[in-house]
Amino acid sequence: MDAVEVKDLKRYFKVYKKEAGLAGSLTSFFARKYEDVKAVDGISFKIREGELVGFIGPNGAGKTTTLKCLSGLLYPTSGNVKVLGYTPFERKDSFLKQIALIMGQRNQLWWDLPPIESFILNREIYEVPPDRFKKTLDTLVDLLDVSDILKTPVKKLSLGQRMKCEFIASVLHSPHVLFLDEPTLGLDVVMQKILREFIKEYNKRYGATIILTSHYMRDVEALCKRIIIINYGKILFDGKLSDLVKKHAPYRVVKVTLQREVGAQEMESFGELKSFTYPEAVISVPYERISDVSAQILKELPVEDVTIEEPEIEDIIREIFEKEK
Amino acid sequence: MSGANEGSLMKLSKYYLIARNTWDETLVYRLNFVMWRVRVILGILTMYFLWLALLPPGQNILGYTRELMLTYILGTSLINSIVISSRTYEVGDHINSGNLSNFLIRPINYFGYWFARDLGDKAMNIVFSASELTILFFILKPPLFIQSDISLIMLTLVSCAFALVLYFIINFLLGSIGFWSPEVWAPRFIFITVLTFFSGGLFPLDILPKPIFSALSLLPFTYLLFFPLKIYLGQLATYEIIRGILISSVWIVILSQVLRFVWQRGLRVYTAYGR
Repeated sequence: MDAVEVKDLKRYFKVYKKEAGLAGSLTSFFARKYEDVKAVDGISFKIREGELVGFIGPNGAGKTTTLKCLSGLLYPTSGNVKVLGYTPFERKDSFLKQIALIMGQRNQLWWDLPPIESFILNREIYEVPPDRFKKTLDTLVDLLDVSDILKTPVKKLSLGQRMKCEFIASVLHSPHVLFLDEPTLGLDVVMQKILREFIKEYNKRYGATIILTSHYMRDVEALCKRIIIINYGKILFDGKLSDLVKKHAPYRVVKVTLQREVGAQEMESFGELKSFTYPEAVISVPYERISDVSAQILKELPVEDVTIEEPEIEDIIREIFEKEK
Repeated sequence: MSGANEGSLMKLSKYYLIARNTWDETLVYRLNFVMWRVRVILGILTMYFLWLALLPPGQNILGYTRELMLTYILGTSLINSIVISSRTYEVGDHINSGNLSNFLIRPINYFGYWFARDLGDKAMNIVFSASELTILFFILKPPLFIQSDISLIMLTLVSCAFALVLYFIINFLLGSIGFWSPEVWAPRFIFITVLTFFSGGLFPLDILPKPIFSALSLLPFTYLLFFPLKIYLGQLATYEIIRGILISSVWIVILSQVLRFVWQRGLRVYTAYGR
């Protein structure tokens, strides 16, 4: 059975337009100009039970809006959305008990109380039988290594510890579908890794359908076999991650900090010069040539610092766009 | 044990936990809470000594002897804890911060959540108010009027229950302003000032000129503090008590319909902007 079925989903927002200045304020008081922002502009896809899918796109692409339509927080302007056979926006209790939505910066834990109190409250809200609750809680606490902070008030926990507890609180009821909106946003590298491992393990162990949005390539690389690229409210790519990387991003980004001035032409000999403002230069180098070229750069250029990075997903998407044009 | 019974008990347990968590939260901010109570007591004492001076023994103003007036003033503290103490004004913050979304995606009744939260808050305030009044009783030895008619005490409690629900709805409506305006604090502040006066929190409303008082008794605010206290003081005829409870009920029905309408509209706006 398909856990998620979306057909031609559209979500437009009305946004007020106001001209700058006093004249603008007066005009907008009498005659407000609306503009339709097409956050989601006709997307369709299906997700099977147990799949781990990543929605990626730059900020403003429509990822969060799509997730909110899937979880029932927004109603579609038009189109059809079905999750686990339910219409999300009706927000039936039986639907809500099977899903969970984690939005990076949003907290559900009671701030002044220990996390365990919020966990117990969730147990009652979702009507989880006590023995199943205990088993799930023990497993999760073990997976995320938080047994020593269960009784510490949430306000005294570090951001990482808090996020771990937020995660636990959100999946205590063993949801069939888990929506994650930018789950690793703002976390340090170690915590990002821990959470990614957790999400992966959770999907494996419980067979939950997991849909996450992110603009970090690393999140998506680590977790999702299937990705859906979305931008300007439309799906640009829906398929295996490996296909995408092979097809669109077979290069690495080399950032060089120079000690002395070097001519642009010389920089270009190493690869595609993306930007050059002394002392920083950004060069795009094909993946297969990266070791040779980096060795060359270190040998031939007066280098202060070099970093080799994967292309940002925003850059990949921008390039996909430019190719579309 | 029948499955149906278990089900409905389980459904209430989450609200009990919410009330209890609210109680625990208050304990965390002990100092804040104590300072708040000190403020309340100071207010009560000010009014108390004012009327103590205005009403020498044996005198009465507009039907209020010293005993009745002082009992009224001290009584407002207790009734305040039962009826007025509330956290529901935070609804506005929930809306503006987007925290409301956390509740929309959970199988929990949002109104039930706030009602349970209020009960936790009221419980803490009642405990403190009762203790304070006991202490004041021993220090000041005020000439009090103690109601001996059990049925009147019961009716006072009944009217408090109605007042509790009525104020809950009013507060929720105030919080719903958050759907249309980021500024919830200012209207709330104005409202509380107005409310304290119109509910009889400063002095018994029937010492006002009759036409004004008659107009006020059509508004819901009179039934929050003044009405329960009047029942306790034994100053109302049975038909007046029944009439008061009826008017409270009518207001509850009217305002809950308004709330339902406002809330439906508000949710449309909230979900339209996708916060």
